[in-house]
Amino acid sequence: MKFIKKIKPEIWGILFLCLVFLLISKNVYYITLFVFCGIYIIAVSGLDVLFGYSGQISLGHAMFYATGAYTSSLLALQGVPVWIGIFAGIAVSILLAAVVAIPASKLVHQFLALLTIAVGNMVYVFLSKAKVTGAMTGVKNIPDLSIFGIMLDTKLKFGIFMLVMIVLFLFIKSRIINSSTGRALMAIREDVVAADGIGINVRKYKILAFIISAVFTSFAGSMYAHFVGYVSPDGFTGTQSILLLTMLLFGGAGNMVGPICGAVVITIMNETLQGFSTYKTLIYGIVILLAILFMPRGVFGLVQDIIRKIKSSFGRPVKKNAEN
Amino acid sequence: MVLSLIISALVIGSVYGLIALGYSLIYSASGLMTFCQGELLMFGAFIGLTFYRYLAWPFWIALLVSMLIMFILGMLIERLLIRTILSKHAQTIYVVLATIALGIVLKNAAQHLWGTTAVQFPTIFGVDFINVMGTNVQPEAFVCIFLSIVVMVVIHLFMNKMKFGTSMRAAAMNPLAARSVGINVGLTTGVTWGLSASLAGLAGILLGPVQGVSIMMSTTIGTKAFAAAVVGGYGNMYGAILGGVIIGFVETFGAAYVTSSYKDFITYGILALFMIFMPRGILKGDVYES
Repeated sequence: MKFIKKIKPEIWGILFLCLVFLLISKNVYYITLFVFCGIYIIAVSGLDVLFGYSGQISLGHAMFYATGAYTSSLLALQGVPVWIGIFAGIAVSILLAAVVAIPASKLVHQFLALLTIAVGNMVYVFLSKAKVTGAMTGVKNIPDLSIFGIMLDTKLKFGIFMLVMIVLFLFIKSRIINSSTGRALMAIREDVVAADGIGINVRKYKILAFIISAVFTSFAGSMYAHFVGYVSPDGFTGTQSILLLTMLLFGGAGNMVGPICGAVVITIMNETLQGFSTYKTLIYGIVILLAILFMPRGVFGLVQDIIRKIKSSFGRPVKKNAEN
Repeated sequence: MVLSLIISALVIGSVYGLIALGYSLIYSASGLMTFCQGELLMFGAFIGLTFYRYLAWPFWIALLVSMLIMFILGMLIERLLIRTILSKHAQTIYVVLATIALGIVLKNAAQHLWGTTAVQFPTIFGVDFINVMGTNVQPEAFVCIFLSIVVMVVIHLFMNKMKFGTSMRAAAMNPLAARSVGINVGLTTGVTWGLSASLAGLAGILLGPVQGVSIMMSTTIGTKAFAAAVVGGYGNMYGAILGGVIIGFVETFGAAYVTSSYKDFITYGILALFMIFMPRGILKGDVYES
C-alpha cells in the first residue's frame, strides 16, 4: 500500500471531484461524455507509450481498438464470460501487435507509418467484409460487464467503474515509464544507435512498446463495445487512428498529463461539433496542422513553456559587476 | 474479356505510376515523405472538371491550366508548410503528419466546394466506346496510357539531359554541396513538390473519364500508389512506374479472378508484405533501415 502514499494529494482531489461529478450529474449525457473521455484517455495513453516514449509512429492504431472491441463482443455473444472475453481481446491484440512490431522494428519512421496504415486498412477491410464480424452492420446487443457480481447496467455504475479503470491504467503507465523499461524506450526514442551501443536490446524494447500500447488500446476498445452495446466497422477506420493521434499530438506526447488533456479536450470538441459532422474531419486536420506548426509539444508542452517563462521572469537578476 | 482487363490494368497502373513518381521525386529530392498525393489527385481532377465541364473549355487547355494550378499549389505547400516545419528542426515524422493533415483539409475543402456525389467527367472525344479487337473500350483509356508514357519519358529526359533537372538531382543527393556549387536548393525543392502535385493533378484528370471524379478516390488511390512506390523501390523513379504497373495488374486481375470485395485487402497485403520482406522494393530504392 506504499504507492497510495506516493500519490499526491492533488490527484486525490481530482479523483474525488470526478466521483462527485458523476454522482450529482442528473443528465446521463455528462456521464456518457465522461466515459468516452475515459476510454480515449486509456487508448491515447497507450499510443503515447508507443509514440511519445519509444518514438515509433502508428497510423493504424484503430486496429487494436477494433480487435479489443470485436473480440470481446463476439465472444460475449457466444456466452463467454465478459472478462474472459476482454482478456481474449487483449491476447488477440498482443498477437497482432507482435505481428506488426517484429518487422516494424527494422523500419524507420515513415516506412513504419506506412506499414501500420497498411495493416490497419487490412483489418478494416476484413471487419467490413467478413460474415463473422457482421460485415458493415456490425455486432449488436453486446452484453453488459459485470464485476464482482455487480452488473454494470446503468451508465452511472459504468462511469464509476471507468474512473477506477482510468486510475488503474494511468498507474500502470506511470510504473512502466518510471522503470528501466521506460528509460530504455526513451533512450531508443532519442538515439537508436547510442541506445544500442550501451547494450539496450533495441528490437525487444520496440516490440514491447508496441505490445504495451496495444494492450491499453485494446482494453479501451472493449470498454467502448460494452458501454455502447454496438460496434460497426465505421468506428475503426483510418480516421479513428488519425483521431487518436490528433488527441496525442494536441495534448502533448511523452508525459502523463498530455494524453489526458488531449483526449478530454478533443472528445468534448467532438461532441460539441456533432451538428457539423461534415466539418468534423476538416477541423481535425486543421487542429493537427496547428498543433504541428505552433505546438509541437502539445498543449501540455505549451503550458510548461509558459510556466517556465513566468518562473524565469521572477528570478533574481544577475549582478552586473560580478568580479568586484 | 482479357483485353479489357489488360487495358483497365494499364490505365489504373499508369495512374498509380504517376502518383508513385510524385512520391519518389519528393523523397529523392528532399528525403521527405508525403501522404497527400491522393488528395492532390482528387483536387486536380475537380479543378480540371470545373474547367472542362462547367466552363466548357477545350480539354487540352483545361488539362494544361489545371496542371499549372496544381504546380503552383505544390510549390506553395512546400514553401508555407514544409519549410516552416523543417525550419523548426522538428523530426521528419512531423512533416509526414502535416501532409496527412493537409490531405484531410484538401479532402474536406473539395467536399465543400464540389459536394460528395461522384461526378461524371465528360468524354473527350464525343464517343463513349470504340471497338478494339472485339471489346468495347473507352478511347480515354488510351489517352491515359499514352499521356502517362509521354510524361514519364519527358520527366526522364528532363531529369537527365537538362541542366535544371540535373541540378534537382544534385540538390537531392547533397543539398549542401549543391548550394556550394551555386544551385538554388530552395527553388529545386519547390519545383519538385510542384511537379509532383502537377503529376497528381494530371493523373486525376486522366482517370476522370474512366472512373468519374469523387472525393472517395483520394485516400484509397493515394495509399495504393504508395504501395506501388514501395514495390518498385521507393525513391527510384523507374521503380515507381514499374510498381504502378505491377499493382495495377495485380489489383485488376485479382478483382476479376480471385475476389472483388477483398481487392483492397490484397493491395494492402502486398504493401505490408513488401514492407516486411523487401522494403527496398524491386529496383532497390533508398529505404533507410535501422
